Amino acid sequence: MTATSAFFDRLTVAGEDPRFSNVCGSVRFDIRDGDQVEQWLLEIDHGRMRVSRSDGPATTVIRASAQVAEAMARGEVNGLAAITRGEILVDGDLNLALRIGRLFPRAPGPPEHDGPGER
Amino acid sequence: MRDIAGTVACIDGNTFMVSDASGDVETSPATPVGLFAADSRFLSRWRLTVNGECMTALSVDNSQYFEVTFFVVPGAAVDYVQADVSAIRRRRIGPDLTESLTIFNYGERVMDLDIRLEVAADFADIFEIKFNVVDKVGSHYTRVGPNELRLGYRRATYHREVVVSASEPAEFGPDGLRFAIRLNPGEQWSTRLQAAMLALRPDGVDLRSALRAQRPDDSTLPASLRAWTAAAPTLDTESVALQQIYQRSLVDLAALRFAPLSLGGAAVPAAGLPWFMTLFGRDSLLTCLQTLPVTPSLTPPTLRILASLQGARTDDVLEEDPGRILHELRYGESAAFEEQPHSPYYGTVDASPLFVVLLDEYERWSGDAALVLELEPEARAALAWIDRYADLNSTGYIWYRRRNRATGLDNQCWKDSWDSISYADGRLPSFPRATCETQGYAYDAKIRAARLARTVWNDQAFADRLEREAAALYDRFNRDFWLEEQGFYALALDHDGTPVDSLSSNIGHLLWSGIVPPERAPRVVEHLMGPALFSGWGVRTFAEGQRRYNPLGYHNGTVWPFDNSFIAWGLRRYGFSREAGRIAEGILSAATYFQGRLPEAFGGFDRNTTRFPVRYPTAGSPQAWSSGASMLLLRTMLGIDPHEDHLAVDPALPSIFERIALLDIPGRWGKVDAFARRRPDQP
Repeated sequence: MTATSAFFDRLTVAGEDPRFSNVCGSVRFDIRDGDQVEQWLLEIDHGRMRVSRSDGPATTVIRASAQVAEAMARGEVNGLAAITRGEILVDGDLNLALRIGRLFPRAPGPPEHDGPGER
Repeated sequence: MRDIAGTVACIDGNTFMVSDASGDVETSPATPVGLFAADSRFLSRWRLTVNGECMTALSVDNSQYFEVTFFVVPGAAVDYVQADVSAIRRRRIGPDLTESLTIFNYGERVMDLDIRLEVAADFADIFEIKFNVVDKVGSHYTRVGPNELRLGYRRATYHREVVVSASEPAEFGPDGLRFAIRLNPGEQWSTRLQAAMLALRPDGVDLRSALRAQRPDDSTLPASLRAWTAAAPTLDTESVALQQIYQRSLVDLAALRFAPLSLGGAAVPAAGLPWFMTLFGRDSLLTCLQTLPVTPSLTPPTLRILASLQGARTDDVLEEDPGRILHELRYGESAAFEEQPHSPYYGTVDASPLFVVLLDEYERWSGDAALVLELEPEARAALAWIDRYADLNSTGYIWYRRRNRATGLDNQCWKDSWDSISYADGRLPSFPRATCETQGYAYDAKIRAARLARTVWNDQAFADRLEREAAALYDRFNRDFWLEEQGFYALALDHDGTPVDSLSSNIGHLLWSGIVPPERAPRVVEHLMGPALFSGWGVRTFAEGQRRYNPLGYHNGTVWPFDNSFIAWGLRRYGFSREAGRIAEGILSAATYFQGRLPEAFGGFDRNTTRFPVRYPTAGSPQAWSSGASMLLLRTMLGIDPHEDHLAVDPALPSIFERIALLDIPGRWGKVDAFARRRPDQP
């Protein structure tokens, strides 16, 4: 299983996220791998999330290569930086896209400090 | 980094052009002049010549921020100008740069004119200019077409381009364009030059196209500025100087409004020209706090964008934590390739408490409980960040120690230069550090959040808890930071809790936050207004006589108008009206030496010695929180403060003003007027 599908599976299982309690909208991910396009539709209704494999319409569409999507799912990409350098393309509501970006993990930094999370 | 005195700016949010007084741009790598958008320089050369001669300015009109008119003649500046040929360059900044060029022949001969515009684009990132980085990783290209010149820069999928064109036939070359014209006596000739700036995605769409679709086109800018000015209260005063400062501040606040990519067109204040033309958490929050009585429309979008970009994860490069409010957001190449951590960077400890402070202050003015409900999750997360993530050694304070060791900030308070926090003898404390004013903000945030919890969020238990925590913080702070012998608060605590014993302007912010017991306030005020801190113009950032004091030290001795405006607010809170008036008088008098436009900072030299405020070499101007300072000083002189559903007025004018009236102050009361007249018994 790819990191990308594992990511969407996690969202499906979670089903909701309290950080999105005042968020409504839909985001479609168009992930291109050569000639193939894999599409995932994420619908959010006041924190409840529904994930499906769908090419249905969405208020916001996020396009990326399979390689970039995998890196995102592994937490190796800063989404806003990737948008600024043209690696991730967002059409629609960028604000919603940035909020969705919080669902992606971030790879932990080098363990050289006793950060607050470890106390 | 060179001084940029004598430059002329044309601004629309985070798009701006800085040129010399003739309208020309000629850059050396480390100079922040040129045409900029989204933190990148799209024109590094824009130079007009007529028959081989460059232009000299006769006059410049920049009364409207988005438009500048240059009246110029060919030839170097000499005592006597034989100006048969003259020209007007009318420049306007919108999504693109447009410049109308008109050439006049007032001589008696037919003139054949070779008019050239030299054009170059280095696509330097603002940080490459700041740090004087010359070599770029990507590659430049030049494409000369019959009707345009395209200059571009590519680095992998990052692509920026500027397209220069003209309304009249021109000969385009790789270094610019030229017109060959013949003018009879009394004739004139015009062309409209355009430089379109593109931030292109691989599919050819501009990154900002969704935003541009929502943005009014530039023909509506004059109307938008009129509407902005009309919506603000009217100032009525006998002081021509104060009138000029007020109008200049209003226009500059309008100029610095920009619509961040992710906000669907709503405008927030950018911090300042030329280095900070982007969203800063601290600057935008403090600017909104200063301007609530005059331009409250800035606040809701500022709170909303900071909420939507609030930290959600732990990231040591961005210094992100759940609940943390961002420090700085950039769109340039260095942010795009993560050479700088600005996508966004979270290395600030005061934006999170100030977010809560502004939310409450805004509700007190506007009565907009809906926004307080909408942002309840983010406000709670910011409060949780204070206790959970900022208290690095479990002592009950907000501490900082950078986690991004390559490019993070050493000092994450408003005085964020590397040497701003020192002992009186010059030693630098170790990390983590806890600065005093940040604890004041945290105290104020808890007190204010308790009010919101009680009145809007309907959570009595949370309100009680916040008030208990605030009371404990008040006691702890007054025990650990107070230097009884000196009679002021330590600038900071060292990593081991030792007070950093220097005298600084930060103690004035403590009055604003209300964390000073009334019986200690007179000693604090005595220091603020004493000769070591008060220069005659304002309170210095750092007191004279201490090892690192320097009247031109960025945070070690200069006077910052924004800093002084909050100190004046704090002085009024504790009943020191006369002292607040002295600060208002000093800062507003200084403004008259800057044509009504307060710079970011000016020299800390004694007023009696220099007689005029000494310009700080690289000070930004206009600067949002300096424009805001005039507004907050007006508030403190009028003594206006919301009380339930009405606006209380308690004026105290310094002696240079006879009468100040602010008419149609918007708020939950509708619109009301505040009048102040100097009383004869006042000095």
